[in-house]
Amino acid sequence: MNRIALSFLVLGALFTSCSSDDDNGSDGNQVQAPATFQFQRNGITTVDYNGQTTRIDMGEEFVTAIKDNSKTEAELDGMFTNTGNYFSTTVLNESTKNIRSKTAASSDYFSANTTVANAIKADFDSWIANQVTEVFPSWETTATAGNAGRLQENGGTYRYINSKGLEYNQAINKGLIGALMVDQILNNYLSTSVLDAGTNRADNDAEILAEGKNYTTMEHKWDEAFGYLYGTDDALAPMLNQDSFLNKYLSRVENDEDFAGIADAIYDAFKLGRAAIVAKNYTVRDQQAAIIREKISEIIGIRSVYYLQAGKLTLGTDNASAFHDLSEGFGFIYSLQFTRQPGTDEPYFTKTEIDAYIAELLEGNGFWDITSTTLDTMSDEIAARFNFTVAQAAPSN
Amino acid sequence: MKKVIAMIKKIISLLCVVSIIVACSSSDDSNGGNTDNFDRTALLSNYADNIIVPALSDFQSKVSDLDVARANFINDINQSNLDLLSGAWLEAYRSWQYVAIYNIGIAETFTGNLNGFRVYFNVYPVSTSLIESAASGTDYDLNADAYFAAQGFPALDFLIHGIADSDTTPLDKFTTNVNFEGYVDYLTNVQSQINNRSTVILNNWQDTFRDEFVANTSSSATGAFSKIVNDYINYYERALRANKIGTPAGNFSAGQTFPDKVEAYYKNDVSKELALLGLDAVQKFFNGQSFDNSSTSVESLASYLDYLDSSQLKNDINAQFQVARQQIQSLNNSFSQQVIDDNTQMTQAYDALQAAVVLLKVDMASIFDVQIDFQDNDGD
Repeated sequence: MNRIALSFLVLGALFTSCSSDDDNGSDGNQVQAPATFQFQRNGITTVDYNGQTTRIDMGEEFVTAIKDNSKTEAELDGMFTNTGNYFSTTVLNESTKNIRSKTAASSDYFSANTTVANAIKADFDSWIANQVTEVFPSWETTATAGNAGRLQENGGTYRYINSKGLEYNQAINKGLIGALMVDQILNNYLSTSVLDAGTNRADNDAEILAEGKNYTTMEHKWDEAFGYLYGTDDALAPMLNQDSFLNKYLSRVENDEDFAGIADAIYDAFKLGRAAIVAKNYTVRDQQAAIIREKISEIIGIRSVYYLQAGKLTLGTDNASAFHDLSEGFGFIYSLQFTRQPGTDEPYFTKTEIDAYIAELLEGNGFWDITSTTLDTMSDEIAARFNFTVAQAAPSN
Repeated sequence: MKKVIAMIKKIISLLCVVSIIVACSSSDDSNGGNTDNFDRTALLSNYADNIIVPALSDFQSKVSDLDVARANFINDINQSNLDLLSGAWLEAYRSWQYVAIYNIGIAETFTGNLNGFRVYFNVYPVSTSLIESAASGTDYDLNADAYFAAQGFPALDFLIHGIADSDTTPLDKFTTNVNFEGYVDYLTNVQSQINNRSTVILNNWQDTFRDEFVANTSSSATGAFSKIVNDYINYYERALRANKIGTPAGNFSAGQTFPDKVEAYYKNDVSKELALLGLDAVQKFFNGQSFDNSSTSVESLASYLDYLDSSQLKNDINAQFQVARQQIQSLNNSFSQQVIDDNTQMTQAYDALQAAVVLLKVDMASIFDVQIDFQDNDGD
């Protein structure tokens, strides 16, 4: 048997000795994990994700405006599509970016699925429209089963809900976390279909920079993924909870002791993967992408279960509070269809499964009719697809 | 046990030899392109002799018929002759669908535009304002980039079927319109451009390029195989998927639909037929089926995939073409009407076409080791 082992050694040696210098892309290159997400070429940064920061900023103003009953549907639509100068700054108004075009728009999930992408965009459009036509006119009316209006939490806060108890602003805000951030990160910018598109790999190997830029296209794609999570945070020392989207909920999950460490795991994978691109080691790059896909998907799964369980705690005793939690849960569950199981082309839950959950949550009078049993069953089913339990995800008290 | 070890040793020795050959052989590997022993000459000559040149000859003859119909019309301007002209236009437009892929040889030198030589034949929507202005006496140059959208089949479509400003019928352009002489001239000039460029292309293939094409078996990016595969995918992605279906369906405009951006908008009831012919040309090319449908098994992209142990991909591609065909067949004859009535069916057809883009542009190109020389820029 030793001689066989020896033969393998010889074989290995032959491979090594014959492989020429164009071998850069294969497994061999050592990748040093950098301390932070700082990358430079000739002393100048190669990291740029201003487009992502812009969209997060637009999202912030948009989800705030959605809760302002003085807004018209045209204004809200205008913020979703960046038309009509409804943002507070000229920087945003004059930007070529907008949120809607990147909603359900990843290469892997939607480039050959534009019919579904259109339907998802239409969901957001209808939530906006319904907020204006159903909820805004009932702003001062007390909501009842089957009638839109407001409900007051025991603590005093008013929640503005539709006839089924759903806060459209929560559906939109939490739904965007999946349809915009998660989908763009996991199914677009970290995908080989995007990272390796066209001549990206050959260009990165040869360090051919994007026209007029200090980065290779592949480097930039990776950074755009990074930007959808850290675009309003400190890239070198993330504080977390710096937006109302994915960055905030990474913070929430990190602060649950059952999941402490997830923030470092994600940040480490982002910086090691980026360093791997610089080192032209695409195996390490894709390993890090897989880690990010798993961990970010987990955030969505954990928060889905968290809010279903949170809603259960006050259901019937403080419905305003319960419906608020369930509305957040609704948005996170909607977002599950944009998650990505590492090593596959599939989300943790298909659109069909999510459509069924949404229908179940809104059946009859929606949250007014929902039972603890339904919430528990749904929680169990969601947790079962991930590496966490309902108890771990649920609120701790 | 000893026997087994001996056998394993044998296998390993063999592996060593193979690996030395693989690892140390080709120095031209880095240029891209396969270095297998597939008979590229057979493939290229099948494409040239049984598909491309016959398609170009057919096109040339339909263009001649069209020119005759134009001359008859101008000679005796009446509705009946305009109808005959319309019929000849549609015949030529159908034939065009079988040559639009081939932006190679002299055709490739016409323009650096990403749509290749197609810009002289089929840019739509047509710019009616450019045509109306030209008819009224403004200087124009059909060779200028600005006039890509005012010539070829879309311009003829407007001239034959469209109604100019302040007119009531299509025929009025050539009779009662104050600029009727300008319209007659414009019709003739558009036709001349089609005549000239199609003749130049066919002659180039027949005189010299056919042999050049077949002899250029290099696996590099400038080899005929790599170029024709790029032309093929470019046509599929841009001309077929995007222009015929995606653009009117709003796939590139945040969902805003454009019933007026369909192919043959003014004739209006043939956009589906033309799209199906485009897809037919694509699938026949893939399988190496001759233009006259006579030949059966000759070398093609499909047989090359078989040769490279990728029959599954070949089958997947053909199956996806079939899915796309069925989706398109279910649409209204007029895509304009389809977009207005139920755009979801249009986007479903787009999705079916798009699904094959991945198979062709990523999977097939990678198996052939062909570098895609064009790229969509949709990032930010």
